[in-house]
Amino acid sequence: MDASLPIRVASQGSVPWLSLIVLLPAIGALLMPLLPKEVNSGSNLPRNLALGILLADFVLILGVFSNLYIPQSPELQLVERINWVPFIGLEWSLGVDGISAPLVVLSGLITLLSAAASWKVESRTRLYFALLLLQASAQGIVFLSQDFLLFFLAWELELVPVYLLIAIWGGNRRLYAATKFILYTALASLLILISGLALALSGGEFTLNLGELTDRSFSGTIGILCYLGFLIGFGVKLPIFPLHTWLPDAHGEANAPVSMLLAGVLLKMGGYALLRFNVQMLPEAHLLLAPALIVIGIVNIIYGALNAFAQDNVKRRIACSSVSHMGFVLLGIGAIDALGISGAMLQMISHGLIAASMFFITGSFYERTNTLSIPNMGGLAKVLPITFAFFVASSLASLALPGMSGFISEITVFLGITSQDAFTSLFRAITIFIAAIGLVLTPVYLLSMCRRVFFGPRIPALAIVNDINPRELSIGLSLLVPTLVIGFWPRVAINLYEASTNSLAEALMRFTT
Amino acid sequence: MKHRYSHKSLSNDALTMPEMGAILLSTQFMAAPDELLSLSINAGAVAPEGCVLLAMLGTLIVDLAGEKAASRWAPPICYAGLGAALLLLAIQWDTPLEPSFLGAFLADKLAIAFRAVVALSTLLSLLISWRYAEQSGSPVGEYAAILLAATLGGMLLCGSTDLVSVFVSLETLSVASYLLSGYMKRDSRSSEAALKYLLVGSAAAAVFLYGASLLYGISSSTNLQEIGIALLNSPTPLAALALVFVLATVAFKIAAVPFHQWTPDVYEGSPTPVVAFLSVGSKAAGFALALRLLVGCFGAFDEQWKLLFTVLAVLSMSLGNVVALAQSSMKRMLAYSSIGQAGFVMIGLVCGTEEGFASMVVYMAAYLFMNLGAFACIILFSIRTGSDQISDYAGLYQKDPLITLGLSLCLLSLGGIPPMIGFFGKIYLFFAGWADQQYLLVIVGLVTSVISIYYYISVIKMMVVKEPQEASEVVKTYPPIQWKTIGLPPLRVALISCVLITAIGGVLSNPLFQWANNAVAGTPLLQEAIELTTQRALV
Repeated sequence: MDASLPIRVASQGSVPWLSLIVLLPAIGALLMPLLPKEVNSGSNLPRNLALGILLADFVLILGVFSNLYIPQSPELQLVERINWVPFIGLEWSLGVDGISAPLVVLSGLITLLSAAASWKVESRTRLYFALLLLQASAQGIVFLSQDFLLFFLAWELELVPVYLLIAIWGGNRRLYAATKFILYTALASLLILISGLALALSGGEFTLNLGELTDRSFSGTIGILCYLGFLIGFGVKLPIFPLHTWLPDAHGEANAPVSMLLAGVLLKMGGYALLRFNVQMLPEAHLLLAPALIVIGIVNIIYGALNAFAQDNVKRRIACSSVSHMGFVLLGIGAIDALGISGAMLQMISHGLIAASMFFITGSFYERTNTLSIPNMGGLAKVLPITFAFFVASSLASLALPGMSGFISEITVFLGITSQDAFTSLFRAITIFIAAIGLVLTPVYLLSMCRRVFFGPRIPALAIVNDINPRELSIGLSLLVPTLVIGFWPRVAINLYEASTNSLAEALMRFTT
Repeated sequence: MKHRYSHKSLSNDALTMPEMGAILLSTQFMAAPDELLSLSINAGAVAPEGCVLLAMLGTLIVDLAGEKAASRWAPPICYAGLGAALLLLAIQWDTPLEPSFLGAFLADKLAIAFRAVVALSTLLSLLISWRYAEQSGSPVGEYAAILLAATLGGMLLCGSTDLVSVFVSLETLSVASYLLSGYMKRDSRSSEAALKYLLVGSAAAAVFLYGASLLYGISSSTNLQEIGIALLNSPTPLAALALVFVLATVAFKIAAVPFHQWTPDVYEGSPTPVVAFLSVGSKAAGFALALRLLVGCFGAFDEQWKLLFTVLAVLSMSLGNVVALAQSSMKRMLAYSSIGQAGFVMIGLVCGTEEGFASMVVYMAAYLFMNLGAFACIILFSIRTGSDQISDYAGLYQKDPLITLGLSLCLLSLGGIPPMIGFFGKIYLFFAGWADQQYLLVIVGLVTSVISIYYYISVIKMMVVKEPQEASEVVKTYPPIQWKTIGLPPLRVALISCVLITAIGGVLSNPLFQWANNAVAGTPLLQEAIELTTQRALV
């Protein structure tokens, strides 16, 4: 850690790398309206510009994180702090630690691939890619911000692009889905703002800096109330059981690239914020309410899985499986030990990759079949063998087949709960038992969907379609290869965040004794 | 009526500058020779208003020369007058504080800030009105002169510190506003709006006069500061009655629920540029009046008026934002939204802290640009299509990207979506409210902001999301865009500058916050109130 110190200090004074990472896409978004209007129909210029910028951004993320970021240190690195509007405590304050780093990499990758997957977007391309780039900036700030208000600003900023992305380029019920999304999220952000304000104004001098807020201890009623406010606010994004109803609509109605973004990045914002605010900032309240989180997590797993059975639409079924899988994140966070939190982190990364790949493959065969209704499909396996292989591979990853990343993350969460002595053994046994039922349900609904979509009588729409093209192949591989790599060698991902999750768990332990 | 003047706030320069007016007036004050020496008119304080007055006279004169000369010369004269007024206000910012007209007017920083908002709102309203006035076939010179008269009243109102000057400027503003709202003589809705406004406004003026006479009876003075001291020494039940009357007038001017009944009808019937002025300039003057009367004069009834204003704010935010959901006319929607927006500003007023007042100033300045930007867009749309219906905006993105983008940004800003300027203003208001433990107000404000996002975004949805084949008939027959017609270039300037400030001003808003805090810090009236509030909090 001592060796790392000079580098960190040096990076503070020199290039503001993190600002570059988050601002590059926004600059690209501002360039979009300047493109000539003729390109609005048919030309590839907006897409190529967006792709170029997102690729540059992803390369920048990888370069900065592999050269300047020291994963062994649990501390905040590459810190940038500039006073912005001091009267409301707003600071341009960015920093990266183990909780942010993997998610920034994940969101960079998913956004790049989602732009690459937006092949079929032909109307209003300038607007589409401008919104996509704006969204990329906003999510980057959410993951890297070290100032509550900046975090909130980015959290709200992302509302409008996503709303328009769903409302303009979505399916038949896109307006309903988009409105539902924005109302849920906007109402949730009320609670986030109120809780953040309450924390900033209680106990000492007014500050919105996350580090300074973490150093304070919020005990008693105020801590618990703010914890609940944050839990509900972030729970809408994650989503948590009774607050999830926007998700099947939004994910089901959005087009495939936007669904990739929603499942791959937006849900992770909820999980990230739970770790950053509820666990890191309010450890006392978290220790008190952790069992409740576990209960909600179990409900999520079972309810999501059962819900998935009832869906006749491929995308809605995958969306419900997301609800189920994010339950494991809650379970891991609720386990309050290093293993559990590590499992939750890994589950977020792995689900981001797997869900994005499932939505991507779905989008790719939707372009060929023009239907997503499971009863109307069949026989795709013969015509689209590679698509079939990809879909089955993603499904296997999603149902946590050993050798895939989902297996590692879910098993880590289980281990985290079993090894937590703070809970009674009965509680642990019941938790594991019910969650295991969820594990059994996942293959049932996923594989039955595979069977109904890919086998059986061939549907008429498949008469003259071609199988997956090289572009789609490379996007699919970019998502599946990391899943496999993490599955066989989880250290790749775990090393990125382990120091931070360990120190988080240690901080929690300090409060138990 | 006897004017008094307090010695302590007098600066030494006043004695060395005996002006003609002071000497003339001194004959009336033989009874109090010691006060004679301290008399000074200090007319320089109203120099900005003088510029506006000159511009008004100038437009009236060119109007005599005929329609053509008026439409040629009225605009430059107005720009020059308002520009000079703004310049003089900027120069006035750092001059030492000194009451003028024997204590009837005070150009403190609060007054300067609000006068600047009023003058700027007039300037922008004028820029967007030429084409509209031209198209409606009404005389341009007359219109500009009446609008400048309203501005004159509004600006004087912001600095008035005497019941008489308050009433005179209030009436100048009101009478000019009645004329403006009835300006479209051939439109029956416009006449209806003017009549409604006149009747309700006269009733409000009468109520104010009654309250003012009660105050004079209690304190035997018309100076607000002295009334404040008198009330502090002997708070009588009669004074509470006066408070209610005065408060009703203020609430009428800022269109707070339940004194808002006139707003939707007047806004819908009046010419749109007039509505733009009424919703910003007139409201800013109303808030300045609220600060002068309630904070400056009714310090003794602090708790009472704050309670009343809490109720008004909650009602305004809820009713304004909820009823706006159901509107099908753009102007009516903006009318209800402006009621809700005034409710947000009231949060700052109720706080009574440094941040509270500063956030009011910030939000008024932000509201000036975002609301006038939105009005510029709907005026341009109505010039091109003749419609104000929200449903007629369907599919506009394809035909007119500028209006779509401008209106979207301004509406998002009104809804408080980052990174627009409205987000920063609103956050400041909520922070101030929360810090002062006005939890109810902040929570109502937050919930109603979400509701407001819904109706603002439904307009954006109408414009952006609809496919070309779903476009309204009006949009399908949209005229080709051209800017060469008389009056359109200034409209474009106003539109683009408002939208730019709305979009970028938020990110670069630190100077605005700095300015607002300086304004509050440099106003003795507010500092005294803040001291009072903090003392009460400590007790």
